[in-house]
Amino acid sequence: MKRSLLRLFVAWIGLLALLLVPLVEAKDITLLNVSYDPTRELYVDFNAAFAKHWKEKTGDTLTIQQSHGGSGKQARAVIDGLSADVVTLALAYDIDAIAEKGRLLPKDWQQRLPHNSSPYTSTIVFLVRKGNPKAVRDWDDLVKPGLSVITPNPKTSGGARWNYLAAWAFAEQKFSNDEAKIRDFLAKLFKNVPVLDTGARGSTTTFVQRGIGDVFISWENEAFLAIKEYGADKFEIVAPSLSILAEPPVTWVDRVVKKRGTETVTKAYLEYLYTPEGQEIAARNFYRPRLPEVAKKHENQFTKLKLVTIDEAFGGWQKAQPLHFGEGGVFDQISRANR
Amino acid sequence: MVVLAVAATQTLLRPAWADETADEISSLKKQIEALDQKVRILERKQELEQEATAERAKTAPLVSAGVSGFSISSADTNFVLRLRGGLQADGRFYAGESTAKDTFLLRRVRPIIEGTVYGKFDYRLMFDFASGVSLSAANNSSILDAYGDLRLYPEFNIRVGKFKAPVGLERLQSWNNLLFIERGFPTQLLPNRDAGIMLHGALFDGLFNYQAGAFNGTPDGGSSDFDTSDSDKDFAARLFTLPFKQSSASALRGLGLGIAGTLGEQDRTPRAYTTHGSQRFFGYRSSTDATKPNSLGDGTQWRLSPQAYWYWGPFGLLGEYAISSQETRQAGGGAGAGSRATLQNTAWQVEASYFLSGEQNSYKAVSPRRPFTIGGAGWGALEFTARVGELDPDDDAFPVFADPTTSAAKAFSWGLGFNWHLNRFFKLTFNYENTDLRGFDNRYTGIEREDVFLTRLQVTY
Repeated sequence: MKRSLLRLFVAWIGLLALLLVPLVEAKDITLLNVSYDPTRELYVDFNAAFAKHWKEKTGDTLTIQQSHGGSGKQARAVIDGLSADVVTLALAYDIDAIAEKGRLLPKDWQQRLPHNSSPYTSTIVFLVRKGNPKAVRDWDDLVKPGLSVITPNPKTSGGARWNYLAAWAFAEQKFSNDEAKIRDFLAKLFKNVPVLDTGARGSTTTFVQRGIGDVFISWENEAFLAIKEYGADKFEIVAPSLSILAEPPVTWVDRVVKKRGTETVTKAYLEYLYTPEGQEIAARNFYRPRLPEVAKKHENQFTKLKLVTIDEAFGGWQKAQPLHFGEGGVFDQISRANR
Repeated sequence: MVVLAVAATQTLLRPAWADETADEISSLKKQIEALDQKVRILERKQELEQEATAERAKTAPLVSAGVSGFSISSADTNFVLRLRGGLQADGRFYAGESTAKDTFLLRRVRPIIEGTVYGKFDYRLMFDFASGVSLSAANNSSILDAYGDLRLYPEFNIRVGKFKAPVGLERLQSWNNLLFIERGFPTQLLPNRDAGIMLHGALFDGLFNYQAGAFNGTPDGGSSDFDTSDSDKDFAARLFTLPFKQSSASALRGLGLGIAGTLGEQDRTPRAYTTHGSQRFFGYRSSTDATKPNSLGDGTQWRLSPQAYWYWGPFGLLGEYAISSQETRQAGGGAGAGSRATLQNTAWQVEASYFLSGEQNSYKAVSPRRPFTIGGAGWGALEFTARVGELDPDDDAFPVFADPTTSAAKAFSWGLGFNWHLNRFFKLTFNYENTDLRGFDNRYTGIEREDVFLTRLQVTY
């Protein structure tokens, strides 16, 4: 009798503990994701999905705040003290700067997640007015006098730096590595740029909403979003003969997550980008997924392009960034000559 | 066939000017499109410039200059710097038997740098470059205040550096809010500025204010920021209450009562005492000649000062009493060599003020209700003042520690004054001070009476 009562008592305690533990441990957690300009819609969808997943898994209520802006500007903000739990920027160099100048994460951060910490890729295409009235077909057309080109400022925008390098890669091929001609090509291109926004979303606003320019050198996902939002009767995408494989990376910011105690949830958040659901969300927002089965499912959605990589064409960001976009770099020289 | 004929006829009959018009229209359309693009580009650039300006404004420092002074602050107000200052240009005119000479002088020339960091850390630097400011081994009198204040809670704050010791009521009153040109007698027995650490705060919504700290220690009326004469520290504490602060009786709300004191060890030469006209009337025997008397503090020094003020409408009253007790030794040669005594000097004063122009009187600064302007209706704030006080050195100081021929045994003073506050920044002061000095015995040959007219122009910002 006593034993059965004891067993019953223990069982009740165990059941109570099972019921109470999630109640006792459930927390409200807030994360800050500092991202580049065009990822707003992606992270609205992704954050909702991950928060739901995390709630089901742990019982914790997760709120993810977003900050968006030009990738370079965002990196500087984090270095200057913006407490980002995660950074999801346009290019690895901007996160390298956070590691080196801000000392907020280790220099080998890129090895911590698959595919060099890039869960999705994108590329650069042309968005033109419906009917392509200025007959833009390739990079060559962008340097014609009288054609107005919209692209953000490479000094602040990661997307703009991919744009520039894609144009450079094309010119390298066209002019057989004759640097003087390549520089001249880029100079003519930027001479045709009437407005330099700080980020890709700003340039989208300039081209799509303000009606400025004949062609917008755009992130692929941004071009698709513009057509989706404003109508296929207003814009169309032109695929250039050559473009660049953009690999926007993601990582957690070690010093911040350790201080805030959000290490576990931020790692799970970024790892979720690689799951089938995360990859689907990326594809739905016009980012090229890494997961083969998801990529296959959405392959017809994306433009077929000849792509070069930053490593093949430029020896990596560590070489390309200071050479082209550093103080007094090639872009600065081109800008000064164009004044 | 007919259709073709009609079309051909139309073409043949089409006037040449129609083609030209079409070309012109096309050209105009292109020009309009180009102009439209230019306008859009300009508008967009303006929009981006406004965004960039708004972004810069978020981090741009805020600079302000106005009635509250000059200040610079970071956009997030985490770093604030204020620049203030003031000067007092005085005149001293002696009547009667005084040996002092009439003079104009710069009594105080004080630039002030103060500020706050992260909303909790205050700092203050106040310098003085006036006439007679001097350096000594124990005190850099050009640096009056140099301290940091950590404001943790209203009830608990920590101050470290050089600042006013928390004792004398009139000493603690700001130099630019004094009723009379020179502070009263009790202030001469109490410490001026000292280096140390102090806890301070307001309790029960400001009903009580307390300060308690450890300092290097100074002679009466003196300042210090460096003391290697001994390792002993003086302790100073003060408790002040506004017991009727929340009372419905308006007449009582301005009543403040307090008690303050110090306890420590002093082994320095005690300071002399002066009249309100700054004439020395009492001094301890001192000499570097070993054969001559030299009075030194040598042992325990304590001070006690009950104090009070009362302000009701335009009327104000301030009073304090001070007693300074110092173990003293005749460390030199001559008569009384080696003698020791505990000397207790006392002082008291009561001063009253009344604003003819009806301003609310206060221990702190008073702003005129109608500032003076040339050609305007306002005359500023007109304040009449009066005071009476006494300083009584211990008779036991004579003749071993103080020379009865040159040091008076008691000073009794009364004074009348008028303050004209032209506005918050300019004040004119006129004082008449009468001081009677009595010797210890009939050997006293010093002045027996001082009549002095004092004037001051004060500018503060």
